[in-house]
This record gives sequence, structure tokens and C-alpha cells, in this order.
Amino acid sequence: MTPAEPVAAVPSPTDAALIAAWQGGDEQAAAELVRRHTRALARFLAGTGAPEADLDDVVQETFIRAFRAVATFRGQCRFRTWLLTIGGNVLKDAHRRAKRARVVPLADELRSTDGDPHERAVAAEAEGRLGEVLQGLPRLQREVFLLRAQQGLEYDEIAAALGTTPGAARVHYHHAVKRLKECLK
Amino acid sequence: MNDDGTLDDAGLREVARRLGVRAADRVDVERTAQAVVARLREERHAPRSREAWLWTSPVWLKIAAALVIVAGAGVVARAVRHAPSGLAAPVETVDLGDLSVAELRELLQSVEQPGAAEPVSWLDVGLEDLSPAELRTLLASLEPET
Repeated sequence: MTPAEPVAAVPSPTDAALIAAWQGGDEQAAAELVRRHTRALARFLAGTGAPEADLDDVVQETFIRAFRAVATFRGQCRFRTWLLTIGGNVLKDAHRRAKRARVVPLADELRSTDGDPHERAVAAEAEGRLGEVLQGLPRLQREVFLLRAQQGLEYDEIAAALGTTPGAARVHYHHAVKRLKECLK
Repeated sequence: MNDDGTLDDAGLREVARRLGVRAADRVDVERTAQAVVARLREERHAPRSREAWLWTSPVWLKIAAALVIVAGAGVVARAVRHAPSGLAAPVETVDLGDLSVAELRELLQSVEQPGAAEPVSWLDVGLEDLSPAELRTLLASLEPET
């Protein structure tokens, strides 16, 4: 009896390889990039104030803009980080349009249907308060805070994506934390 | 969370990590991927609109500008060529002594019928220069037609 040969794990292609494949006309490469980054992008957009009803549209629009401009992506940061900054721009444009036709989004806790109701309410309250206070921060502080605290990125990566220095990114993060703590007391 | 209910750094990061998770979970990843690919395919295969192509093509803009310049120059040149010069035709002086009798008679006949060819306009001469017959012709030309 021969020992079973270990199955060689096929390494998943890198983002750079998928981008190159998409540029060569491979649609499935684009689809794989979308699958890979949709959740993180949606979380970031929800954190930066995208109404849940519009989240699908904003996510799609972000990917479309990213693929249109992918030739300008020079690998200065990770593809995901670059994507999140594009998402921030898409959301800013959407907010500008929404000011003309303002709708009141339904609160998260009213829509949620899973989990323990009490825990869900407490978590929703904390997230809701944080989300509200985040909307009051300057855009750069808000995005740096989310890229750091929500997405877990390093300052170097954040700085490269936002076109600033790691030191400045650190300062923006600490200003954001200070303001959030003051407002969430 | 601190005892006083305020968030410490770790608590803040924890809430931030949870922020948007439930909303993101509701996004249908596969549907999003297919929708994005469909839109990208549409953009790749859709021909650019004729209008956008015309307005953004520098070659066609240059050709259009050149045609406008050539046409304009042609119109100006044509107008200059056909414009009246404003100079009177040179007057040919004739020595009456060189004319024959028949030629002199013909000349006199042409001088005796000044208003036959065209009506006299008050702009051309002073009234004091006109004969009674010429004045009558002038008055007749000024009378409104019925």
C-alpha cells in the first residue's frame, strides 16, 4: 500500500495576477477580485456612512470605477486599500447627490432578525453611536480611523493609499480616537 | 469598556471592527460579482457614441477647423473680387474737329435726349441746373405710383 500523496495546495493567484489577467480580457479574474474584496469594502462603506439600502449600489459602483482606473494603480499600496479609498470617493459623490433627495434610512436594529435580541440591541446601539460620531469627523480622520481600527491596516499602508505620510496618518488616527472617546462618553 | 461606561482604546477598536459587519453580510457577493462583470462587459463592447467620438477626436477637430478657415477665406476672396471698385471709368476726351458731319449729328441727337435712358435723380444734380423738361421728368419720378 502506497502512502497517499499529499495534495499540493494550489496557491490562489495574487491580486496583481488577477488584475493583469483582467487587463488581458479575463472576466473571471475580475469576478474573483470582486468576490475577494466585497465584504471588506461593504464594511468600510457601511462604517463611513453608506445607507444600507444603497450599499449594493455603492459597492458595485466602486468596483466599476476601480476597474476603469486600474491602469493607474501602481501598487503603491494593496489593491484592497486602494479600492477602499475609491469607495470613499464614490460615497462622497453619493452623499452629494443624496442631499438633493434626502431619505431617512431605517435603523439597523429595526431590520435585524438574527441573534439574541438584547445583545443585538446593545451591539447595535454601540455601533450606531460610533457610526453617528464618525460622520461628524473630518473625512480624512474618519477614513484613517476605519482603515486602522476596522480594517487593521498599518500606518505605512494607510499613508500610501491616502497620499499622506505615516506620521500624519498616525496623528489623524489619534485625533479621531480622541474625538470619538469624547463624544461616546 | 471602562467601569464608567466609556470606551477604552481596545473597546473602541472592537466596536469599530464590528461596525458594518451585519450590513456587509447582507450584500450578496456572487450577485455583486456577476453584476460588476456584466457592466464591465457592456462597457468593453459598447461602441463609443458617435457624438462623443466626434467631439473628442483631435484629428476631426483639426480637419473641421481647417475647412472653416478655407471656406471663410474663399468667401472673403470672392467678395473682394466682385466688389465695385468705386473708381469712375476713364473719360475719353474727343476733339470735335476730328468728327465727320454724320458723327456730329449723331452726337447732338444723343445729347438732346438726356432723360430717355434713365430717370434723373435729385441727388445727381442741383435743381438750378435742370431745364423745365428735366424738372418735369424729376417731378414725375417723385410722384407716387397709383
